[in-house]
Amino acid sequence: MSTISQRLSLLGCALVLSLACKPVCAELVIVVARDNPLTRLDRAELADIYLGRLSRFPDGGRAVPIDQREGAAARDEFYSDYLGQSPAQIKAHWSKLIFTGRGQPPRSLPNGPAMVEFVAGNPEAIGYVDSQHINSDVRIVSID
Amino acid sequence: MKSKQFAAISLMLLHAAGSWAQESPYPKWQFNGYGTLGLVHSNENQADFVADIFDPEGAGHSSYLSPEVDSRLGLQLNAEVTSDLSLFGQIIVEQNYDGSYKPELEWANIRYDITRHLSARLGRMVLPTFLVSEYRNVGYALPWIRPPLEVYRLLPVSSADALSLSYRFRTGDFNHSLQALYGQRNLDVPGADDNQVKARDLATLSYMLERGAFTFLTSYSASELSVDVFDPLFDGFRQFGPAGEKIAARFAVDNESSRLLSVGAQYDPGDWFVMGELASSTSRSVLGDNHGMYVTAGYRIGDVTPYLTLAKVDVDSDSSDPGLPLAGLPPALAGIARELNAGLNDLLGSMAAQQSVSAGARWDFATNFTLKLQLDHMDLEQGSAGFLIDRQPGFEAGGSVLLYSASIDFVF
Repeated sequence: MSTISQRLSLLGCALVLSLACKPVCAELVIVVARDNPLTRLDRAELADIYLGRLSRFPDGGRAVPIDQREGAAARDEFYSDYLGQSPAQIKAHWSKLIFTGRGQPPRSLPNGPAMVEFVAGNPEAIGYVDSQHINSDVRIVSID
Repeated sequence: MKSKQFAAISLMLLHAAGSWAQESPYPKWQFNGYGTLGLVHSNENQADFVADIFDPEGAGHSSYLSPEVDSRLGLQLNAEVTSDLSLFGQIIVEQNYDGSYKPELEWANIRYDITRHLSARLGRMVLPTFLVSEYRNVGYALPWIRPPLEVYRLLPVSSADALSLSYRFRTGDFNHSLQALYGQRNLDVPGADDNQVKARDLATLSYMLERGAFTFLTSYSASELSVDVFDPLFDGFRQFGPAGEKIAARFAVDNESSRLLSVGAQYDPGDWFVMGELASSTSRSVLGDNHGMYVTAGYRIGDVTPYLTLAKVDVDSDSSDPGLPLAGLPPALAGIARELNAGLNDLLGSMAAQQSVSAGARWDFATNFTLKLQLDHMDLEQGSAGFLIDRQPGFEAGGSVLLYSASIDFVF
């Protein structure tokens, strides 16, 4: 027995959901394995992990950043949105570290599903992926 | 049947390789390289412009269009032997002091991470003196075609065979990095055979602070420096008794204490950047006391980054000396003394003192490649030869020089 108001509220919910879905469903999210206790991370910490300056999560566990392949839309979006850097700037950054023997860039994976699979199986890993690819084996980390 | 067996064996091998890679990821080998193809034209055709102090020739007198100034190729191999131990070697092919292109070892060291924060390196390494010192040859990683010489030339010996300790730690969002290094270095230089520049008891202390887009660096270096190429001049002075001995003691570069202090900072939030460095070198010798500085700003418009640099280097010590008193000397000796005095004053007076304005643009036109164009206007102080070598009789010190440079940088 559905009243008009119930129907309207259902319709409202659907509207809210569909509106919310726009940013959420096609959003780039930061993920770790389900067993990783990490729930939130500073934007600065995330940037430092991806720039090779920080190798630990706030709780002391080892942090291993994972990239998607060069040229992948998710990769460019990640570096642009979270670090404000273009692919060439990131390449120049790693050139500084590589050619002074200070480090190698993150391992890179071919696409979103590969990222989710790898992160799910590696509690030290942190990655970024379009939210449409995530499953229950990984957890979204909120970035402050 | 055969193909099935082959497939099965392949699968087993693949599986074996996979599990080996998982259980024993070490040693990890990594091969990388970088390079620059550059061309430089100088409007001063009575002398050569060189980027490296020990280059024998460059743009201007020797070449109308010089590929020697900036072109180079670097190749490196990195091996992580265990998670704590790694080997790192890098060779550079570029114009050497003798005009050859024999590969030179830029880096060759073994690194051991003693703790999470402390690591030790032993072997050949580049001194962490300035903001871009350690990767000054990697054009792709630089905003300019070459680092501003007004600062980067103040340190004659830029690498060492050394032991170094690095301590890295983090407080809040601040990343701190302290490095202490001790070693020595011999460099072959142009001129007579086995001419060398030797740095003994070379010590460098540096501190770097990074927070997000902000970087700060300060460093101090000291060494006992010897420059063989000046020896004949000061041996000449020593022939003239106590007065000559005194001049030789004051100006010869023979185990002479040489120091350099530098401070630099960079802010690079992404769409634009600004960076600057200030350095002061002192040596109680003919090398004198100098200070240099520069500031560079750039703005990124898509793949193109125009930039502007203002730079200046000055000599703080005397740019002339009365030399040997000629009064009372027999004419033959007075002639020699006059030549020695002229030689000394030529060295003191021609030291680099100049201001420059450089404008350029970097274009990241393809993955791993960048194209740069740069125009340098160098205004030489009166009497100074700036960074020009191989000066011809027609060269007039103290003028201004325009440099037109283009380069393609790549990494792989």
